[in-house]
Amino acid sequence: MSEVVHSSQGSNRPFPITTKPVAPEDEAAVRESLKRCSPSTFESAIQFRKTGNPEHLPAVVIGVIERFVEPDLRTKLKDADDDLRLIEDLGIDSLTMMEIVILVEDVLQMSINNDELRNLRTVGDVKTFIDCKVRGLPLPKPTKFLPIEQIAATMPVQPPFLFLNEASVSSSGANAKYKISGQEFFLQGHFKDNPVMPASIMLEALGQLAVLFLLEGLLPEPGKAVNPQMIFFTGCEGVRAHRVCKPGDILTLSIKPKRMKIPLATFEGSIRVGQEKAVIAEEITLTFGFMEVPAQPAVANGAVNAGEPGSGEPVQPEAVRAATSA
Amino acid sequence: MPRVFITGLGFITSIGNDAAAVSTSLRELRHGMEVYPPFQKPEIPVKVAAPVKDFQIDSNDPEDWTFPARYSIKREILRGMAPHGVFAWCAMQQAVEDARLTQADWSNPHTGLYAASGGSPQLMGYMLQRMHTQGVMRCSPLGIVASIAGTVNFNLVAHFHIKGASCGFSSACASSSHALGYAFDDLVLGRQKRMFVVGAEDGNMDSILPFAGMRALSLQRDPGLASRPFDAARDGFVGTGGGVVLVLETEDEVTRRGVPVYCEVTGWGQASDGHNVAISHPEGCGLQTAIELALRSSGTAPEAIDYINAHATSTPIGDISEVRALKKIFRTPAARPAISSTKALTGHGLSLAGAMESAFCALAIKEGFMPGSAHITRLDPECEGLNILRATLPVQPQVVLNNSSGFGGANVALVFRRAS
Repeated sequence: MSEVVHSSQGSNRPFPITTKPVAPEDEAAVRESLKRCSPSTFESAIQFRKTGNPEHLPAVVIGVIERFVEPDLRTKLKDADDDLRLIEDLGIDSLTMMEIVILVEDVLQMSINNDELRNLRTVGDVKTFIDCKVRGLPLPKPTKFLPIEQIAATMPVQPPFLFLNEASVSSSGANAKYKISGQEFFLQGHFKDNPVMPASIMLEALGQLAVLFLLEGLLPEPGKAVNPQMIFFTGCEGVRAHRVCKPGDILTLSIKPKRMKIPLATFEGSIRVGQEKAVIAEEITLTFGFMEVPAQPAVANGAVNAGEPGSGEPVQPEAVRAATSA
Repeated sequence: MPRVFITGLGFITSIGNDAAAVSTSLRELRHGMEVYPPFQKPEIPVKVAAPVKDFQIDSNDPEDWTFPARYSIKREILRGMAPHGVFAWCAMQQAVEDARLTQADWSNPHTGLYAASGGSPQLMGYMLQRMHTQGVMRCSPLGIVASIAGTVNFNLVAHFHIKGASCGFSSACASSSHALGYAFDDLVLGRQKRMFVVGAEDGNMDSILPFAGMRALSLQRDPGLASRPFDAARDGFVGTGGGVVLVLETEDEVTRRGVPVYCEVTGWGQASDGHNVAISHPEGCGLQTAIELALRSSGTAPEAIDYINAHATSTPIGDISEVRALKKIFRTPAARPAISSTKALTGHGLSLAGAMESAFCALAIKEGFMPGSAHITRLDPECEGLNILRATLPVQPQVVLNNSSGFGGANVALVFRRAS
C-alpha cells in the first residue's frame, strides 16, 4: 500500500513525525466504528490518529471500502490497481459511497462535502483525494475514461498503428489496456509460424499512452495546450522485457510522469499481463510543443463545461458511459 | 364486477413463522406471549410481550441481525430496512411461493402493493440521537427510508420490482385493513389484476412501550393471562410485531394461472366514530356503521355470517365498544355468529393486526375451523347474548367478518366467503 501513496500528489514532501497519544475512549470508538473492517484497517487508523502521517491513509480507505463491498467482489480489491472503478467494478452505488464517506469522516476526524465526492470514480481517486484533504493540498482533476473512439479522435497516431483499446487518464498518470488480437499485420512475420508481440511495439504502446497523457492529462503549463503534431519520441532507458506476449494476451499499460519541462517530458512505464510483469521502462522521454493559439478551455477539456448552463451536451458523462460499455 | 380471491399468504408472527405453524397455534390456542427480557427492569411496569421467534433484530445495526437461514437478504437491501421490513420481506417470500407466482407475474403494471406499518420508532430514535450527538451529516444515508411510516412499501416495492399501484396506509390499528379494502377496490374497479397487501410492525421496546403512557398495556406478569379479550379481568393489550402478506387476485387471473384459492373477498366497509382521538366510541357506533356497510357492499345478511374475528384487543373500554356494536347488528336468534379475538394468542399487532387477522380468516375458511377466544376465565357480563367461542370449533365457516379499529375512531370491516 505504501508505494501507492508515494506516487500520489504532493507526497514527495517528507512528513514530520510527531506522535500524539490517542485517548482510550477515542481508540475504543475507532475500534467500534471499524469493527467490520480488517484488523489492519484499525491499526492504520490508530497510527494515523497518533502521527497524522498520510502514509497510513490508503490502508484505512481501502479497508473501509472493502467492508462495504459485497463479499464476492472483495477479491478484486486484494490486488487492486488504482484504476479499479467504484461503480462498475465494485458495485458501489452513491448511497454506499455516502456510507464509506461517513465512516471515513468518523474515523479520520475530517469532513468531506458532497461536491468533492462527485468526481471520485476509482480507488486511486479516493486515495489521492483523502491524501490531498489531509495534507491541505488542492484537489486533483478526476480520472477521465477514454474509449477507443475518443482515443483515436485525440491521438496523432491512428490504426493500424494504435495500440490502446481503452485508457484512463488522471493527473498522476495514465493506464490503458490493449488486447493482442492476432490480426496485427506485423505478427505475420514476427515470427514465422509463431506470432509474438515485438518488444519494440510494446514500447511504442507505452509511448502512445504517454502521448495521450500529454494531450488529456495535466497540462504542463496552465493555459497552454500541447500540440498533437509536435510530440515525438526522443529516447528511453532501462528497458527490460520479462515475458513473451502472444495473441489473446491483454496488456495492462501504465505510465507516470517523472519530469516535465518544455520541450521534454519523461515518464516511467510498465506493462503487465494479469499479475505478470511483461515490460519495464525506467524512462521514456518525449519532446513536445504547445499550440500557437491559446487553448480554448471547452476544447482542451470538455469536462470543464459539462453541466454548466448552455454548454450543450455534457461531454464527460457521455465518455464515461461509452467507456463502461466498451 | 370482477370477483376477488386470496391466493397466497405469508406469516411472520408471534404464533408461527409459516402458515402451518400459525394454523396449529390457532387450532390449539397456543399463544405467543413471553416475559419479554427488555421489559424486565424495575422502572418498567409492563412485563409481557409477544415477540417474533427465531429473529434477532434488536440492534440498531442491520448487519448484526440474524434470521432463519431460508431467507437471504443482501446488506445493501438490509441497510434501508427496519426490523419489521425483514419480517415483511420474509412473509412476502412465503406469499409469492404460496401463490405460485413468478417475478414475471408480479413485476408488471397490473400488480400493486399496499402496505401498513407504524414505521420504526427504534431506528428513528437512533437516527435522531446520532444526528444530535454526531452531527447532521453523520445520519445514516438510509435512516429515513428505514424508519418512517412507509418503510415497508418503499422497500418491498423497490426490491420486488413492483410496477403497479403502491402506497402506505396510516390509520393506526385499522391501517392494514384499510390497505386490504382499497386493494380490493382497485381490483374490482379493474385498475389492477393482482395486489399484495402487507401489514408489519417492529413489536419491540420502542414500538410497544409508548402505549404504557396511555395505560393501554396489560401489566399482567403471567404470559398466559396478559391478553384475554372479553374476560372480565382484562387489563390492556400485549404488544406484538411481525409481518403478514396476502395476495389478492381477480377471478380472471386465478383462472388463467389455474391456482387454488383460500377464499373470496366479497366486500368491505368503513366508518369513523368522530368522537375521540384515542378512545373508541362507547357504543361502538363507527364500527357498527362499518360492519353494516361491509355487509351491504358484499350482499350479506347478518344471519349468513358464521364467524367474526373481532378487533377486541383486551382493553377494558375497546372490547365493550365492539361488543355493543355487534349486539346491534346480530340481534335475531338466527344471527349468532361465533366470535373470537385471536389477539388473545398473538397480542395486538397495531398496523399489522388487520392483515394478520384477515389472513387467519382465510386460513380458517380454507382449512375448516373457527379459532376460539383464549384465556377467558370469566366472561365479561356485557358479552351476554353473543356467541363468544371459548374453544376452537372444527367447523368450516362459509362467511367470515373481520373487524379493525384504529386511533381517531377509524373502523374497518371486511367480509370473506368460502370460494364456491
